[in-house]
Amino acid sequence: MTMQKLKVDVHHVTRVEGHGNIVVDVENGELKQCELQIVETPRFFEAMLRGRHYMDSSHITSRICGICAVGHATTSLRATEKALGVTPSEQTVLLRKLNFHGEILDSHILHVYMLVAPDFLGVGSVIPLAQSAPDVVLRALRMKKLSGDICATLSGRHTHPIAMTVGGFTHYPTNDQLYQLRERLDAVRADVEATVALIQTLRVPDFERDTEYIALHKEDEYCFIDGEIASTDGGTWPVERYREVTNETMVPHSSAKHTANQRQSYMVGALARFNVNHDKLHPKAQAAATALGLKAKCTNSYMNSVAQVVEIAHCIEESIEILDTLLERGVEPEEPAPATRLSGEGVGSCEVPRGILFHNYVIEEGVVVGANCVIPTGQNLANIEADMRSLVPSILDQPQEDITKALEMLVRAYDPCISCSAHMLDVEFV
Amino acid sequence: MSSLSSEASAAASHLGLPGRTAVEPAKTLVLGLGSPLRADDGVGVVLIEALREGGGFGEEVELVDGGSAGLEIVLLLEGRSRVVVVDAADMGLEPGAWRRFTPDEIAPADGAALGGTLHDAGLLEALALAEALGVLPAELVIFGVQPRSLGWEQGLTPPVRQALPALCEAVRRELGGGWRSGLAG
Repeated sequence: MTMQKLKVDVHHVTRVEGHGNIVVDVENGELKQCELQIVETPRFFEAMLRGRHYMDSSHITSRICGICAVGHATTSLRATEKALGVTPSEQTVLLRKLNFHGEILDSHILHVYMLVAPDFLGVGSVIPLAQSAPDVVLRALRMKKLSGDICATLSGRHTHPIAMTVGGFTHYPTNDQLYQLRERLDAVRADVEATVALIQTLRVPDFERDTEYIALHKEDEYCFIDGEIASTDGGTWPVERYREVTNETMVPHSSAKHTANQRQSYMVGALARFNVNHDKLHPKAQAAATALGLKAKCTNSYMNSVAQVVEIAHCIEESIEILDTLLERGVEPEEPAPATRLSGEGVGSCEVPRGILFHNYVIEEGVVVGANCVIPTGQNLANIEADMRSLVPSILDQPQEDITKALEMLVRAYDPCISCSAHMLDVEFV
Repeated sequence: MSSLSSEASAAASHLGLPGRTAVEPAKTLVLGLGSPLRADDGVGVVLIEALREGGGFGEEVELVDGGSAGLEIVLLLEGRSRVVVVDAADMGLEPGAWRRFTPDEIAPADGAALGGTLHDAGLLEALALAEALGVLPAELVIFGVQPRSLGWEQGLTPPVRQALPALCEAVRRELGGGWRSGLAG
């Protein structure tokens, strides 16, 4: 493939986010304007897929994100597989599930320890926490490394899962590798308990705003891959009808679209998953939820980080169970399941760390002719704004730095892909 | 997002395994960092390959391709008494020029570095975190190599490529000096 010379600003390369601007306009104590302005560089991934062979899609779209690479790749593969009538084997389903759990763990551990804990402890970064409680931070780094190693073992490398392909895998872990992972996961159970204990000591800000919560749902498990779309306002939709739920619209102050379903906005992510599927959590995760005061239906957006801790507990236990199953069966290299046709349309949907993700492909004679990807962070934007509009009037009497901090923490609680640039939030008091 | 090479992964894989001891402190770690897909950013990784090819290292030296590792660098440093890091660094010098320095000679990367984006977390952020955690090796030396280009291309630019042999020699001298004489550096 001929590569044209490109000049790319490296800071925009691996993340969806651009700059988040908050504009707050208060007149005579009345909130006139409260907007979250997203100036996002369009990613053009959907356009990039057009004209590509269907085998390329998951590899291209895994580059949408460095931390949700497995999430995008899995969703992409499911879209292609549904379009082309591919049925993955039981072993593939298990391996993909394990890989997915590893990525949820990796992402949540980073967010909880490195991005959110400093907020709750009133410090600017993880450095003061590292100084006062080095064991805690080292623990986090080791847990994160284990999570990354789960993905590396199954994906064939550390980021961008090269071993995953349409219908299955091109590379398999050895039983010994799986055994080692299981041993390490078992050892990390104590670290999970310590994490829950730490989060118990942190004071989550009070905030309540009822909204609609959307997540994938299955009858028999706390699902991350496939399922149907479900809402706390009631209703379920097959993923093929995702557009009836997302209803993307353009808004003047944001280059990213907003979504809305049965209300003006909805929330996706760990808290949404908890609200929809809490009864499907592993008992240890349910115990963690109780210990952390998380009860469905929770309408405090700041509790999204707490829901992530509950999911950490869940994913550790689930990963161990999946590994036990794989070790009992023994992993056998097998050919990927074949396509039964070369034309079709498919929608893949998964719950990546930040929420429900959709990939919709149209394939003709083995070539992608159209693609639509709806990213969880985009689906949260309207809800973040609604939360801000609700929060600001209640804290207007506080000093400006405190208001800024509260707004930053609110945005960060969603763990959006712009949380990295949340520190570049310009709060403009008009 | 950080991307630990499979090698670096193996170098730290003992962590988390029950009953396994930490790395042997006697071993000197030579850690080459960077992305070979970004022109001169890959100099650390290329250097590790060159050192390997040249050979002549005993059991006491461990050469590791650290790739684009971010905060996981902390785990690679933990338990080591002596580490040599090679990485591209913008020092305002002529492309291909290098400098040898220790962490305290770097302009401080304080908490602000990790208060910002973590997705670009690299060596500086890892050093700040390692120091805060109290796991910074007793001896840590960094060879910073001035890049000409960090663009989207494979392969080093000519000035950096031409500097490699002398840089290899400098790193070998760094390793040889303390070890052969048996002096604790």
